Amino acid sequence: MTSARATSLLAAAALFVASCAQTGNIQKIEPGERPTIESDEAGLWMQMDRVEEDLQTSGKVVTDPDLNAYVREILCQLDTSYCADVRTYIVRNADFNASMAPNGVMIVWTGIILRAQNEAQLASVLGHELAHYIDRHSLKRWREIRSTTDAAVFFTFATGGIVGILAGFAAYDSIMSFSRDMEREADTRGLTMMRESGFDPRESAKIWQQLIEERDASDEPEKKSAFFSTHPAAKERSETLAKLAEETDNTGTTIGRERHAAVTAPFRRDWLLDELRQRDYGRFEVLLNQLIEAGMEDGELLFYRGEMHRLRGEDDDAEKAIAAYTAATGSGNAPAETYRSLGLMQWSAGRTTEARAAFETYLAAQQDAEDRAMIEHYLQQMQ
Amino acid sequence: MTKRMRRIARPENRTWGRALAVTAIVLLLGACAQTQSFLTSENLAQKPANPRVLIMPTDVELSELTTAGLLEPNAAWTATGRSNVDAALDSLLAGRNATVVRYDKNGGAGSAAETQLLKLHSAVGSTILLHKYLPGFALPTKKDKFNWSLGQEATALRGPYGADYALFIYLRDSFASDGRKALIFVGALLGAGIQGGRQVGFASLVDLRSGEIIWFNRLVSQAGDLREPELARGATENLLDELPL
Repeated sequence: MTSARATSLLAAAALFVASCAQTGNIQKIEPGERPTIESDEAGLWMQMDRVEEDLQTSGKVVTDPDLNAYVREILCQLDTSYCADVRTYIVRNADFNASMAPNGVMIVWTGIILRAQNEAQLASVLGHELAHYIDRHSLKRWREIRSTTDAAVFFTFATGGIVGILAGFAAYDSIMSFSRDMEREADTRGLTMMRESGFDPRESAKIWQQLIEERDASDEPEKKSAFFSTHPAAKERSETLAKLAEETDNTGTTIGRERHAAVTAPFRRDWLLDELRQRDYGRFEVLLNQLIEAGMEDGELLFYRGEMHRLRGEDDDAEKAIAAYTAATGSGNAPAETYRSLGLMQWSAGRTTEARAAFETYLAAQQDAEDRAMIEHYLQQMQ
Repeated sequence: MTKRMRRIARPENRTWGRALAVTAIVLLLGACAQTQSFLTSENLAQKPANPRVLIMPTDVELSELTTAGLLEPNAAWTATGRSNVDAALDSLLAGRNATVVRYDKNGGAGSAAETQLLKLHSAVGSTILLHKYLPGFALPTKKDKFNWSLGQEATALRGPYGADYALFIYLRDSFASDGRKALIFVGALLGAGIQGGRQVGFASLVDLRSGEIIWFNRLVSQAGDLREPELARGATENLLDELPL
């Protein structure tokens, strides 16, 4: 061994010692606690404060006071002591997702509120995210990433680069599995919060079951959502949560289906449209069925079922669309657009009498219809 | 940012893109402290006798470079660095032919729009760095001219402050951790150059009548330390090199 090589190995050993900064024993954060400015945690907070500034002026954030108050109320019911440390931001996005930043910024996508069938299901998501905050998972993850990548560098040097490549893979793997461990931890703490604050913990497993059904019906099942790739396998998770929920009799019983349906009703149309625009019709159909079963306003949902068939336009979709629109019009709360879509489908099926009746109903119901001139032109063409 | 958040969301592409552009600039331009500014001559002709210049909030962030080369933001250093840069700006601009006005977060009109302008400047600045300073990335339509703008929206800043120009500053500084220093040492023994801490930044002077960037400068340096008042002053001075005021 040359002396340069020996020296470099010695130096590499020194480097290894230097790089093995302690990840430390990270305690849960206390209510009202702020990191000291010299800490690495303060650096993470600083960066997330910037993100929060962006959020505060983002057009994607839903600012409706009632909806925000509703989400906050559930969060504060889950844990009154941490409630003041967390700011919730509802972000308009059709997918199922939520995130928790170390500085207390909780982002909830509208896709989650749409899919939660009741207060308890929404509480299970908020509780899970809050648990990430309480257990300082961002800080844990950052220190873990820092020390694993540091170690990977050491191996690369000490072995002349060969083992380093393998170590790199191992480091990546450890980051991912660490993350899943934290997800499990958050599931458990979240479920405890639900139980202790009066929510029925059995709803927690159900939301995952619903997601699995959606995924299985997806037009692109191979295109796994980001969600399923970083979280514990949904099936395992649902089963674990169901088991945990049954472990004790001392448990909450609030489900809150009616209230959730009422609070989200003004938004459901927009959010369903967001989801429909993703053009995953198989998934959309399952979601609609779930919401209908959950007792949400069915006129609106049946209208969207019709829209789904109309846009997909395969096989017998045309007739299925007409059937869905017709069912919607019989339910009392179908949007006026149902008649417009029904008119279009009847017309293209050659049934002009039915088409005319539908278009006329649409125009009567929608006095200020932006497309009035076009629909009137259709009516003329039919004569 | 995804590293920081317990999230499964798609990464913020813009943020990553910007980080990537800045990183690319840093890697490719390397070397010692250097600045190279751009001026648009036609706009300078409109320069008022004693212009009012609005200093936008300085966008400063200081980080530690981990052994593996990750950046760990440091809040304490950032606070010190930012106040050093602000003090340097005050003293450097005091002797210029301009009246300096400070941006007031709560004083201006429409703070949402103003926050958007700060974000836009960081995006446009990174774009300029990439396409104007990096050989091979020049845009065909902008090859021989410098015509970048923050758009008409920037003119909204004119009213509340009565300002003619706005000065935007973006600075990032990083310092090698002990592990990184050891790695640099080992690398040197083996003949491999390992990157240490870096200072990178850019500044723009925006004409608030049009939103156009009439002067732009960037700074790339391996030395310097924004935590030290004198060195922060030096870096700021370099950054303001050839500022047409």
